[in-house]
Amino acid sequence: MLIELKGINKTYDNGQPLHVLKGIDLSIERGEFVSIMGASGSGKSTLLNILGILDNYDTGEYWLDGKLIKDLSEKMAADYRNRMIGFVFQSFNLISFKTAVENVELPLYYQGVPRKKRHELAMEYLEKLGLTDWASHFPNEMSGGQKQRVAIARALITRPQIILADEPTGALDSKTSVEVMQLLKRLNQEEGITIIVVTHESGVANETDKIIHIKDGIIGEIEENKSHTAWDSSIIK
Amino acid sequence: MRELFHEIASNLRNNKLRTALTGFAVSWGIFLLIALLGAGNGLMNSFMGNISDFISQSVSVEGWRTSKPYAGYQEGRDIQLDEQDVTYTESPRWSPVVRNVTRQTGSTGVTFSLDGNTVAGQIAGVMPEYLEQEKLKMYAGRFLNPDDLKERRKVVVLSLAQAKELSPRNPEALVGRWVGAGSVSFRVVGIYHTDESSMYRTCPIPFSTYKGIYDSSDKIESITFTLDGPKTKQDYEAFEKEYGSALRLRHDVAPDDRRGIWIRNGYTDNMEMNNAQRIIRTFLWILGLLTLVSGIVGVSNIMLIAVKERTHEFGIRKAIGASPAEILKLIIAESVTITAIFGYIGMLLGMIACQIMDKTVGQQAVDIGVEKIQMLVNPTVGLDVALEATVLLIVAGTLAGAIPAWKAARVKPIEALRAE
Repeated sequence: MLIELKGINKTYDNGQPLHVLKGIDLSIERGEFVSIMGASGSGKSTLLNILGILDNYDTGEYWLDGKLIKDLSEKMAADYRNRMIGFVFQSFNLISFKTAVENVELPLYYQGVPRKKRHELAMEYLEKLGLTDWASHFPNEMSGGQKQRVAIARALITRPQIILADEPTGALDSKTSVEVMQLLKRLNQEEGITIIVVTHESGVANETDKIIHIKDGIIGEIEENKSHTAWDSSIIK
Repeated sequence: MRELFHEIASNLRNNKLRTALTGFAVSWGIFLLIALLGAGNGLMNSFMGNISDFISQSVSVEGWRTSKPYAGYQEGRDIQLDEQDVTYTESPRWSPVVRNVTRQTGSTGVTFSLDGNTVAGQIAGVMPEYLEQEKLKMYAGRFLNPDDLKERRKVVVLSLAQAKELSPRNPEALVGRWVGAGSVSFRVVGIYHTDESSMYRTCPIPFSTYKGIYDSSDKIESITFTLDGPKTKQDYEAFEKEYGSALRLRHDVAPDDRRGIWIRNGYTDNMEMNNAQRIIRTFLWILGLLTLVSGIVGVSNIMLIAVKERTHEFGIRKAIGASPAEILKLIIAESVTITAIFGYIGMLLGMIACQIMDKTVGQQAVDIGVEKIQMLVNPTVGLDVALEATVLLIVAGTLAGAIPAWKAARVKPIEALRAE
């Protein structure tokens, strides 16, 4: 079991307490391609942030690859994020003053990998994603799809256990959305990387093998979706 | 370390505007500080230099006219010092503190003549130390020397103004020539500098020569000496009271009758000058430090804004694995690099500005009537002070950057990512 959540509770306290996650129990196996689906305010992003060790939780237990992720120091959390988790964000979150290849290199910088090695590896991953020609371009010179592929390359470069994608197609047009989802699917199938996608679009969720519905802070239905027929139309309508 | 350096270099290169703005604030702060301190030093050097032309460190004693009745005498009696007063001053009672006792005769008005040119002058018999005591500067030739006194030579030192009257085309040529003065002749051995409106008409001749020609009595005009002992104004005043009273009693003058026997001293004046110098120096430092503070405030401000503006970037860095320490290290290393490079540039520019001041304003003299003075003398700052100020600004800039950096490093990644 790669990910195991037991009774996770999370309350935000901004003036008045807001109980966002009300006892989440969830298991995800290594190599799964899962989506977490829910309306806005359902707590899906909070769940993803907890999975990504970007945020902490109040009660419960979170086991990641056999390690209990609880009350970690910032340094430890940073180290786990760096080595085990790759992030893909809706707004790409590339550093604007760094070129594509420099952005992809950055996680390795924090691992202490030498510059030359870093650069070689980053170029390798950019090539894999068909971005060799864009390596020395800045994010604002690229299209949304290209930026998201740079972000995916950055997420992959540390060979993480999991990729967490928070609305990865949210800022993309439908054609590019399909391409990005196909890319994630290929990574899952060919490289065996566990991928968790958070989305509110059923078309996107339909591309994954398992759909976890979350509503008002609790897990609802969990659909097996190996045949990709949970939704009767593709995301391209 | 090298990796960090590359990371910083690329960050700075890719954020040219931010780098330039921060750098400008740092450079400007240092530049102002150094230029200001330089100008201040120049002003003070000029002030001190000009004043020291007038201030002599010696004490001189003259007999005047009594202002109080004493010992049966009426007030208004003229007092004349004599050789016994000199002997008394040199006596063991005063010898522990009194040094270089010299004396000067009264003066006699004469008309110098040479080749049909004439000029008026006051001949006075003096000793070689007169040159230093009166702060005269030689224009040509030499001043009187001990041999002149020993051999009672008929030699005279004229002022430049007088020399120009006697030898309008070439005053220097006067040195070595004999000039008439009434019934006697003197050989000119030197010419001293005078400003356009100088009051100096005194023409020094050897003390012994004067006594031989004009006044064979043992009367003298003034006694001059230097002091080795009194360190403070109080010490000096105690000495003056004791010595003055004793000398006055020798002439039946009331011990506190300062007009009877007048003691003039450049000594306390000099101490007051040192005080003034200290005050000006302190003032300059305060001014400089205030400039430095404003520089620090400017740098801190920019650091603060820069860090705030980068919160989102730090969020991204944290999400992909940067620990708080890495973030802190990055910010501080960046701010040290910027402040060091631009601080150095500012320091260089400041020192160049000082040099320019030295070459332009520093070379100009302003006519204040009595004499010409230089507004700025050597308006520069020592390299040590400049370096200290630069290092201080770098340290302060770093500390100022460290506080927001510390905050930024502690923000939870999820909050940093939400920031725009």
